[in-house]
Amino acid sequence: MTHEERLAAIRANMAERKLDTLVAIHDGAHFIETPNPVFVLSRFKSLGPAAVVLRKGGETSLTVTPAWDAERAKDCCPGLNVMGAEDVVEALTASLGNDGSTIGIAGLPFTRWEIASRLRQALPRASAAEDVVFGAAAAKTEDEIAHAREATRIAELGYARMLEIARPGMSEDELAVELRWHTKTLGAEDNFLLLCAGPRNPAVAPSNGRIMQAGDTLVAEITPSYRGQLAQICRTVTLGPASTDLKDKYELLVRAMNAGIAAAVPGVPMSSVCRAMNAVLEAKGYGEYCHPPHIRRRGHGLGFGSIRPGDVSLDNDTKLEEGMLFMIHPNQHLPQTGYLLCGEPVVLTARGAEPLTKHQSALAEISL
Amino acid sequence: MLAMNPTLLVGPSDWDAARMPREEFVARATALWRLAKAASGAIVYGDRAHHAELAYLTGFTPKLEAALALIPRVGAPRLLVGGGANMLQAAKPLTWIENLRPLRNASETVTQWAREQSGGGRPVLIGGAFMPPALRHEVDEAAGAIADKTSDLRSLMRRKSERELAVVREACATLDMAIAAMGNAQRSGKSATDTILAGEYAAHKRGAQDVRTLFSLDGGRTLRPFETLVDRAIDPLQVYVAVRQHGYWAEGFALLSATSTDRVVRPAEVLASAFAIIEPGRPCAEVAHAIAQGIGSLQPHPVTAHMQGNAMGLALEEQPLIATGSEDTFQAGDVFSLRVGVANEREGTIVSAMVAVGERGCDVLWPAPLSEQ
Repeated sequence: MTHEERLAAIRANMAERKLDTLVAIHDGAHFIETPNPVFVLSRFKSLGPAAVVLRKGGETSLTVTPAWDAERAKDCCPGLNVMGAEDVVEALTASLGNDGSTIGIAGLPFTRWEIASRLRQALPRASAAEDVVFGAAAAKTEDEIAHAREATRIAELGYARMLEIARPGMSEDELAVELRWHTKTLGAEDNFLLLCAGPRNPAVAPSNGRIMQAGDTLVAEITPSYRGQLAQICRTVTLGPASTDLKDKYELLVRAMNAGIAAAVPGVPMSSVCRAMNAVLEAKGYGEYCHPPHIRRRGHGLGFGSIRPGDVSLDNDTKLEEGMLFMIHPNQHLPQTGYLLCGEPVVLTARGAEPLTKHQSALAEISL
Repeated sequence: MLAMNPTLLVGPSDWDAARMPREEFVARATALWRLAKAASGAIVYGDRAHHAELAYLTGFTPKLEAALALIPRVGAPRLLVGGGANMLQAAKPLTWIENLRPLRNASETVTQWAREQSGGGRPVLIGGAFMPPALRHEVDEAAGAIADKTSDLRSLMRRKSERELAVVREACATLDMAIAAMGNAQRSGKSATDTILAGEYAAHKRGAQDVRTLFSLDGGRTLRPFETLVDRAIDPLQVYVAVRQHGYWAEGFALLSATSTDRVVRPAEVLASAFAIIEPGRPCAEVAHAIAQGIGSLQPHPVTAHMQGNAMGLALEEQPLIATGSEDTFQAGDVFSLRVGVANEREGTIVSAMVAVGERGCDVLWPAPLSEQ
């Protein structure tokens, strides 16, 4: 799928919903869990709040803040009518006018209250249109998949760097900052880098000032973004030799991940991918750990634009399609080991899920 | 100045009791109660992108998910942290607050907490404009239509304490080191990316919590964030660097060149003349007008055309603004970023400084380094 084909699908969705105008809004606070309809429609990653207006006739405008960022937006989106503004709501309201057209709006639930409340007031009859945008963005475009491949390459190089430099005596923060910087030197414009260490981690959490110790288990979600497309690898490393128990449990997670990868084929619901991973753990007596509060999902979509097809969870019945990009990660808290990370980004092809990584998850030991 | 918001904050953010002891935070809350006389407490929101007010009262930087502080007028505060109970261990070192709980069922939690507060008053809301709509509805439902005291708290945040000024000076020293590293890279003919990253690395090595940069590919006419690698050297290179250290931001613009350039001379002179008129009681608009007059027939740079500076601290952009429409006046204790920019169709130049307003004038904490230009 190309970007133009996606836009055509979005226009078809508008026609089906009898919308004259589609408004997409984003507040500029980019987050892995928050979809960005402005990015889906324009491929522009804004500094501040931004909006896209897509008309039934095909005209598309992009409003960006701060106003001085309009030139960058014009370079990025040569086909769009780009406007710079200091206040995105004022600019939107002025450009939309009050012609009685039927308006759908995407992004309101994810934007901050100050913007959402003013837009609701300005467009009281606008209907929610998340599905109009994101329904057409469940599968990635060819460019997005290419960017995800590059982001994955960067993630793997970031992981190699982590193995080189992670040592007892270094703080989690120091390691995270170094890795974030290193992946930037490789071309990543951002990185959702969750990283922590401990003798038995309760979860993967943002780094803090804790000094890593010999014997720690270091878990990292390395998630660079390349041209606005995230890809993630989930890895577990020991500082010093790993115990036999840890090796065994990690091998179990690798088997669960492979079961999930094998189960992910076009036409099946996402829930079946989760179920396939759970089955491996349940067979070893870890059934209770396959559900909240221990775990709520075994993977997720990858933004920054659309985060569809959503979570790899038992309650997600989205039918898998070619071109979908998502994480398969049976990350798991086990009583003997604490939290372990194991996961790959995959793209769905006609043959099934293709991991984007060259080297898949395996427990690594750093010699001290 | 706005730069790109990162998806996750990774830098060192642990609470440092030596730099900002608990009594500093208690004094801040006490000052808030003086402004919000009837308040039984405060509900304070913060997330990755907007958390200056939350950090001011709790020291907490929400690196991943949002947080909500419930600060009673009397008694111990609690901090509700997004992400569930298993995130509390990682969050604990980031704040002086001892009572941390998961941010779940906000409506129920806030209702019960508000009921528990003595005195019959109602809590006030801080940072509510930044909440996602669903959380805002929950809080409104739980606490009712309560007064938003964000702007009152911000008026307190303007006046920096001695401890805050010390931290801002550290941030300025880190900014200086970052721009010096960029200057060195530029002089040795490095690519634009390598120059920017050399500065970021230097800031990180000095303990920066966050570093954000913008640079120009078209002679300073426009600025852009890091989007992808730029392998060619660009000279001169207009850069913007913002560094955050121990919670507090410092920012600077500089024009870096391997050869001498006179492009910065006039903007730097205008900047220096602005320092001379900053003093408590002076309208911010006067300084904005002075800068506009100072650049004379030159065109203002689009980045600085509408705003010649702003207060800074725990947020990159705080009130008041230095703009011709501003109705504020300078106060002792203010910290500002002050900017002068000029541009034409071919090129642009911006220089800036960090200044602290004292009782009798201003102290330049960081000036754009002429030696790097």
